[in-house]
Amino acid sequence: MSQRFNRRSLLRGALGGCAVTLGLPALDLFLDGHGQAWADGKRLPVRFGTYFWGLGLTDTPAGGSRWVPTTVGPDYEITPELEPLRPVKDKVSVLSGFRVIGDGRPNLVHWTGHAAILSGVAPAAINRMDGPSFDTRVADAIGGGVRFKVLDASASGKVVSYSTRTGSAFATPDTTPVELYTRLFGPGFQDPNRPDWTPDPSIMLQQSVLSAVTDQRQALLADVGRADRVKLDQYFTSVRELEQQLALGLERPEPCESCAAPPEPEAPKRGASIDVVNSNTRTMAKLLAMALACNQAKVFNFVHTPGASETYIPGESKIYHQITHDEPTDARLGYQIETSRLAGLVMEGLGAFLTELDAIKEGDGTLLDRTLVMAFSDTGYAKIHSIENIPIFLAGGAGGRHRTGQHIAGKGEAVTRVSLTAQQLVGVSVGEFGVGGMRTSRPITELMA
Amino acid sequence: MLKWSGAAGAALAIGALTGAGGFAVHTALAAPTASAAATSGAPMIVAARRLTESQYRRSIAEVFGADVRVDGRFEPELRDEGLLAIGSSQLSITPAGFEQYYRLADSIAAQVVAPERRDRLADCRPGSDAAPDEACARRIIAKVGEQLFRRPLTEAEIAPRLRTAALGAERTGDFYEGVALALKSLLVAPEFLFRLERAEPDPAQPNQYRLDGYSKASRLSFLFWDAPPDADLRRAAETGELHTADGLRRQLTRLVGSPRLRDGARAFFTDMLQLEHFDGLTKDPNAYPKFSQALADSAREQTLRTTIDLLIDKRRDYRELFTSNSTFINRHLAAVYQVPFTSTQEWSPFTFPKEAGRSGILTEVTFLSLFSHPAASSPTRRGVKLHEIFMCEPTPAPPADVDFSKVQALEQGTVRTRLLAHMDNEGCAACHRVSDPAGLALEHFDGIGQRRMFENGQPIDVSAEVNGARFVGAQGLGTYLSTQRKIPACLVRNVYAYGVGKAPDERDEDYLADQTEAFAKDGYRVPEMMARIAESPEFFKVKLPARARPATTVAAAPAGETGGMP
Repeated sequence: MSQRFNRRSLLRGALGGCAVTLGLPALDLFLDGHGQAWADGKRLPVRFGTYFWGLGLTDTPAGGSRWVPTTVGPDYEITPELEPLRPVKDKVSVLSGFRVIGDGRPNLVHWTGHAAILSGVAPAAINRMDGPSFDTRVADAIGGGVRFKVLDASASGKVVSYSTRTGSAFATPDTTPVELYTRLFGPGFQDPNRPDWTPDPSIMLQQSVLSAVTDQRQALLADVGRADRVKLDQYFTSVRELEQQLALGLERPEPCESCAAPPEPEAPKRGASIDVVNSNTRTMAKLLAMALACNQAKVFNFVHTPGASETYIPGESKIYHQITHDEPTDARLGYQIETSRLAGLVMEGLGAFLTELDAIKEGDGTLLDRTLVMAFSDTGYAKIHSIENIPIFLAGGAGGRHRTGQHIAGKGEAVTRVSLTAQQLVGVSVGEFGVGGMRTSRPITELMA
Repeated sequence: MLKWSGAAGAALAIGALTGAGGFAVHTALAAPTASAAATSGAPMIVAARRLTESQYRRSIAEVFGADVRVDGRFEPELRDEGLLAIGSSQLSITPAGFEQYYRLADSIAAQVVAPERRDRLADCRPGSDAAPDEACARRIIAKVGEQLFRRPLTEAEIAPRLRTAALGAERTGDFYEGVALALKSLLVAPEFLFRLERAEPDPAQPNQYRLDGYSKASRLSFLFWDAPPDADLRRAAETGELHTADGLRRQLTRLVGSPRLRDGARAFFTDMLQLEHFDGLTKDPNAYPKFSQALADSAREQTLRTTIDLLIDKRRDYRELFTSNSTFINRHLAAVYQVPFTSTQEWSPFTFPKEAGRSGILTEVTFLSLFSHPAASSPTRRGVKLHEIFMCEPTPAPPADVDFSKVQALEQGTVRTRLLAHMDNEGCAACHRVSDPAGLALEHFDGIGQRRMFENGQPIDVSAEVNGARFVGAQGLGTYLSTQRKIPACLVRNVYAYGVGKAPDERDEDYLADQTEAFAKDGYRVPEMMARIAESPEFFKVKLPARARPATTVAAAPAGETGGMP
């Protein structure tokens, strides 16, 4: 990032995307042979996503762990609960030992952990955050110029997202593969590789529909109180995003090498058992990956299972959450056997998700190489609602900026260091993150190329 | 125990988080107290309540006809201080949500300009179906707009829509295509999607504000009918009739006397009873093979039918909700209740015999299955929800640092054994002592409401003691609850909060106590109680909001739902 402004960054910053159409022609020498990826491969857009799962990973009362690698730095060992990450291990950094510093705020169980990671402050009340979640800042910085500024999806059937601009209103996720497919590839999707593209004449009429709405903005906001103004501002921001979506529809999309619109997925089995959630996770990962490859979006939030996860092993009467609390530590093995087994199954979801991103070739690498996924949970050791040693992973090369495949031991430092690092890795211009004891201006430099 | 209230403690200002976008956030009180906002003496918006899904659907049916399909997904609602109606005052519309509203508007507009429906829009025809016609477009926009916005449109609201209609007609060569575009812009407007409540200076009291007539009409209409105001209510708003005691009473008599009161009561109980939990409710198919979407839908309908029949149609004592065994069942429910179903109708009235062990609403499939685990019952959840829903007593979140070493896996015996472990732990006991006994009394019903007497081969003990009162099983619990004064008090609180869209605070306590007293004197009849509340000045009381700060500040409200219960 030494050159702050040049032709490439202008093009990239203005529209991002596969390749762009601007008033000035893109010179061929900047492009690779297909005219759609920048020649050096690193200049394809960087994407960002969050991946959340509930109930952390398993520690042992004696101070050990079923997931933290014993060595620090590159080439960490695969521990039992990390087994599903083996195929993508070299592209995943493991962050252990980071904690929430509450500054006197209570540990709101199954909420404080991820709320602090996302908003930078231990929240005052459950189901609210005291600031915006940082993914919205990433979306503001890099999410423009595409159809969807951010995509939200949830794999367990629950309408759950932790993405918020106001701290009280959270994003609405698509909750089934079919819903997600329809939003991404249903009406309104323009295949960027279609040779016979013509602008849709109805778009200008749609723009007129929305301008009739935005015409009233000033009049409406003139006589409104503070709290209602915030809500109406959010409403008009949403209208604006649709206007931008429509405007993009008038531009000929540049072809995307890796884009191939997927077939509509089958209607899923109902249920929240872990096999169903993982199967949804894989299907939705394919869809999200293709949405990134087709330049429909650059930022996403994915929830595998919510905090205090209610997923379960088919046929068993207890849910995961209950098991984490009730199951005794096995005297011989020193850990909770069933809990650890479930943790391993839950990590299969993450393994599948990352594998799908890695399966799409893009330029000289894969989609995962140009993406940064921050995967994290609500707790560390769930039996005691620990907000220390919350497992966090940074996966994907972030376009060459992330030095992947390392284990970083946080040694009790604030989780916000990870959040700050993630933002900087994808190019958000932010120097510090967090509030009070979690305020930090120190990213994890070992991870930065 | 806590009580739902508006008192959320002192304002917290946590250092502003200022990021790349210059976005700053402060935590502040949900409802800043009255301020000097009214400097100009001009009308102002004092609340923006997002239309609920059912209000949206009913609005479309009212304005365009019940045959217009509304196929789409809605943004999730927010439950705050016990009610979605309170949460709706905090909600906005996200980009994904707006896309959905836009798609819905598209489909609705296309349906209503179709040849077989277009004549309903207004009593005019364009000069030519293939060209713009300003006069007819204006009539349609003004008429439909007034119904959707729940007040007449201003010229500034009509003009841009006329331009859209004309542009559309020109480009497509079809007058009605243009009208569809104009209607679409009404359907996605904030004035439709939010109930914008406006206050105006009160001519009777200098320096005081009152809700304007149209906002009053909407409050009444949504409370009693769950629908936008009809022509007669809008007329009463326009003429000022709603500001007079006689005029208000006349409208209330009409609202309460109408069969549409059922719609309003259905919507209210859907909110209060938290029936939205049916969306996404899943049960383990191995544990409960009888559970299906059809059963879930049937259970929801059973609860609403039974409640409306008892409280609205028969105007019975509210407390009978916990003891009455008269209900309605269909084929799916009969299988779970293990009773024969011989009717040729889809639904049939049914009365459980005493030996069935059931007792009112707490022993319907709805309550028993919603507040259970996927493959097991949960006395704690049931107890917590009983207190939260019917007594307005939310349970605090469990402490984070619980010592779970004594709470071990349940391999044998009944769930009572496991829960007793909580009682040994002081940190847990304060809440579990309150929540669990009531839930344990319901343990003769499994996670979808089927009767059972044994768990893991052991007989289930359903005796309980709450506040010194001892009782046995669901029927003992129902009888106990029907004597508890906080149960009708909670209903009064909920009806008031639902109507005004705000959580009551301490200043409302005397008022609510008086209303509860009147409710008791009147034999706990619900429609009459609703009318008394709507007739009281408190129902239209205006609390001016704090003025808007510069655009970068966001107020986030504290206090949320409890969670994390085992």
